Amino acid sequence: MDDMKNKSKFESTENTGFNFKKFLVTETYLAIFLIVVLVFLSILTKGFFSLNNVMSILNRFSYVLIAAIGMNLIIITSNIDVSTGALMSIVCIVIAAVGKTGASIWILLPVAMITGAVLSGINGIFITKLRIPAIVATLATTQLFAGVLPFVVEGSIYDLPAKFTWLAFEAKLFGLIPSSLILMFIITTIAILFMKYSKFSKKLYAIGNNSDGARLAGINIERTVIITYIIAGALFGVSATIIATASQRVTTTMASGLEMTFIAAVVLGGTSIAGGSGKILGTVFGALILSIISPAINYLGISSDWSDAIMGIIIIVSVILGAMKFIKRKKITVVQRRQDNEKPKIQVDL
Amino acid sequence: MSKRRLISSVLAVVMIVSVMMVALVGCASSSKTLKIAMLPKFKGENYFDACKTGALEAIDELNKDGKTVEFLYDGPPQDQATNQKQVDILEGWIAQKVNVIIVSPNDPTAIAPTLKKAQSKGIKVLTYDADAQADVRDMFVNQVASEGIAEGLVAALAKGLKDRGYDNSKTANIAIVSSAKTDANQQAWLASIKLLLAKADYSFMKINNEETDVYYPGPDETANQTQCGTLIGRMGEGADKIQGAIGLTSMATPALGSQYQSATQKPDPTKIYMTGLATPNAIKAYIKDDTNPMKSGVLWNCMDLGYLAVQTGFQLNKGTIKTDSAKITASRLGDKDIKDKVIILGDALIFDSKNVDQFNY
Amino acid sequence: MKNQKFRLTFNMALLFILILLFITIACLNSAFLSFDYIIGVMIRNIIELGLLALPVTLIIITGGIDLSVGSTMVLAAMSGGLAAVKFGSTAGIIVTLLTGLLCGLFNGFVIAKLKISPLVTTLATMFLYMGIARGMSLGDSVYSYPATQFLGNTDIGGFPLQAFLYAAFAVVFYLILSKTTLGRELFAIGLNENAAKYSGIKTERKLILIYVISGLMCALASMIWLGRFTSIKYDAGTSIGLKVVTIIVLGGTSILGGLGDIKGTIIATFIIAVLNSGLTVLNIPIDSQTIVNGSVLVISLITYAILTERIKKSRIIKLDSTV
Repeated sequence: MDDMKNKSKFESTENTGFNFKKFLVTETYLAIFLIVVLVFLSILTKGFFSLNNVMSILNRFSYVLIAAIGMNLIIITSNIDVSTGALMSIVCIVIAAVGKTGASIWILLPVAMITGAVLSGINGIFITKLRIPAIVATLATTQLFAGVLPFVVEGSIYDLPAKFTWLAFEAKLFGLIPSSLILMFIITTIAILFMKYSKFSKKLYAIGNNSDGARLAGINIERTVIITYIIAGALFGVSATIIATASQRVTTTMASGLEMTFIAAVVLGGTSIAGGSGKILGTVFGALILSIISPAINYLGISSDWSDAIMGIIIIVSVILGAMKFIKRKKITVVQRRQDNEKPKIQVDL
Repeated sequence: MSKRRLISSVLAVVMIVSVMMVALVGCASSSKTLKIAMLPKFKGENYFDACKTGALEAIDELNKDGKTVEFLYDGPPQDQATNQKQVDILEGWIAQKVNVIIVSPNDPTAIAPTLKKAQSKGIKVLTYDADAQADVRDMFVNQVASEGIAEGLVAALAKGLKDRGYDNSKTANIAIVSSAKTDANQQAWLASIKLLLAKADYSFMKINNEETDVYYPGPDETANQTQCGTLIGRMGEGADKIQGAIGLTSMATPALGSQYQSATQKPDPTKIYMTGLATPNAIKAYIKDDTNPMKSGVLWNCMDLGYLAVQTGFQLNKGTIKTDSAKITASRLGDKDIKDKVIILGDALIFDSKNVDQFNY
Repeated sequence: MKNQKFRLTFNMALLFILILLFITIACLNSAFLSFDYIIGVMIRNIIELGLLALPVTLIIITGGIDLSVGSTMVLAAMSGGLAAVKFGSTAGIIVTLLTGLLCGLFNGFVIAKLKISPLVTTLATMFLYMGIARGMSLGDSVYSYPATQFLGNTDIGGFPLQAFLYAAFAVVFYLILSKTTLGRELFAIGLNENAAKYSGIKTERKLILIYVISGLMCALASMIWLGRFTSIKYDAGTSIGLKVVTIIVLGGTSILGGLGDIKGTIIATFIIAVLNSGLTVLNIPIDSQTIVNGSVLVISLITYAILTERIKKSRIIKLDSTV
């Protein structure tokens, strides 16, 4: 936890974004909420902070976060991807098929990333070249991705060799920290640095804020968006690898439905779905909160039937709180969004 | 403009009607094969795949003197194992006038109107693996009576825990990973397990809090992994920990095994024990691994279950047996008793490291 | 003027797709063509989705979206069913409708008053409503009661009762959107919310109104649904939200708002109905059927993109010639 607090201080002094106050607030209240919940849990439950439980939560956290970072990049460009679950299910099956031959993680991971990148790239091309709104385009590809799988594999791939599950079963730093966590740390660090210092990330925010302005400023929007989808796809691939290698059997629907969790993590982290804003650190908190809910209520002695309701309440309350403080700013965003969508495109065509 | 639309819609109607005529004429030449349709709870998982293999074996046998039986097989994908999807498939089959429907319902009551409709069209309706309401099916091909399965599971767990030093002087807390609360099978087995736990032999094992110690992840793979991960974190020695776990589905049990395997701080395998329902292939690796506390599994012969279901359906259709018959002669399986429209396949099968290699499903 | 011509063309393309699919499936398997199947199964199966697609079309025209319809349905059915067990059918109906209304009102309030993006709001309430339904029922099913059985299983002259309901509502929604001031106001909001506001339209009130209508339609659909299946579980509404959006987008309504009509939605509803029920008769595995759904959606989107491009060009030329 200390580590994360330090990071948020570090961010706040360095920040250059135009609506940086908003993020400071979002991240701070998320962090406070998280700390309150954790303190609460430590008083009320026994064994929640046992090493096993913490590691099990962090393992789930790691794959949710890695994919949510990818989703965050996409949402910053004011696009979205609802096909992630189906896409990741395909990746799971592909690496299971490769893994059946006894391939090691050093082959599986790149294969997963490439498969993810290619499929996600298709989404990107679809959205930019045909100018179909992202939610609709990915809705269509969801159905294509989900429908293809049963043709390729009948049922599940099981009895996978020990090499396949090496990542989850064996690979632990100091015999303690699961490798999925290490992957997550590396990716998160790179992502935070990348979003802060790279020119590419500025383009993403520019496109999300005002795509026509960005176009006039000389940004190749189509290429940038496609590259964003490809990067996100590679991250989905990593996330799928963690999910698939967790057991010796991989089924065709391993990751289906997870896209909503990823989007929820991003939204909870304070990224506006309208695009142009949002930071990785917020997503980190969002993903962590979502990963804690289910085990927490189990330890608190509440039936797991309430977990979805609690998740819904947390998202809606967090979004409303964010909106209450910045309601005026939001109104301005609404204006911008409407303009983006309508008239200007025709003007540009002229 | 509206004229054009009128013309186009008139054209459309004409086209539809003409096609209907053509198709109805073509309809006269329908084939005379017997159609047997099988609907699992969901596809893409070893257990139902093994049942299908057995069903196909029976079909091949029936077809050895020329093709007389056609086999249709479909089911919802694993992440959408809902009643709605099953009904969609059933409606399609009813329209095609299949002769026999063999189904494992996700929801015994919600599927009832559709099965009743099938019966009213003269289709023989059988349930296998899980039952529907008794009045909407002609026969239920049950794998093992629910007491038998519960007995097998509890006995396996009791033996494992006793080997690890638990008895009446040192009680063991147990947890159960079920499916969904609407699953007739799991609910029945859970009820039987609870009855058994009250008996003197097994009273050293207890479920402390049903709200939290009975998990309901449904058929979803990720939910099973997540909840089993939480459970493994709660296992270990001590009164506030859990010492024994039973998986009630063929998703939950392998998930218990794999989550133990990936746990950072593995609970001492000499202090805890896990077992459950699973296909041998799915948990073979854990059973053979000495460091994993999952040392046995319970199942029935699922291939025989599929085989028996198809045989029963075929014979019901042919009239060789009726719903009130007392027994069925099911080819290679020999005679099986029928009681109150229920056929029981046999006993539960407990497998451990010694015999797990004999099975290939 | 141009706009209307365009829509007509697109709807004709849709109608053509519908007929083509119908004929193809009928040729491949004649079982599809029985009266029982088309009326008793195909139509009956699609009514709930069709009823939901009508109000959500209005929502999408204002530039919004409602992903929570499936969950609202389940929650309404669940609370109504529980109430009916204790207090009888009438209470069941009242509670169902009230739940639908409250769910819609909450969505509308958060979206219109708090200015939170409809996608985020309804994504969150999708979890929330489903979660409440799950918690309330503790994962168990809720069962139908006489009133819902009547709605779900009554036949009038061989046609299911709900088909008449759907026809009536289709006409009502068509009239609302194309003949009333409200309809025009909704288009105005979709094209430019702020401009609409400053031209005197009470945008917030209109937005809340359509989300409430959506909630009420969910409640109605949920009663039909419950009657048809005799029991319902919390997971029954999963992915209904996206299915409804698929239908509407297929019907040529722009997800960005300001463009669309009810006729397209109705034709698209039947396309999805023919696909769902037709592919099942063809014995195409149910999990692979989504490929066909997806492909039809893709073809429709591409057609749509081409047609829009053409309209833009013609509009530009016209501008040039007048200037």
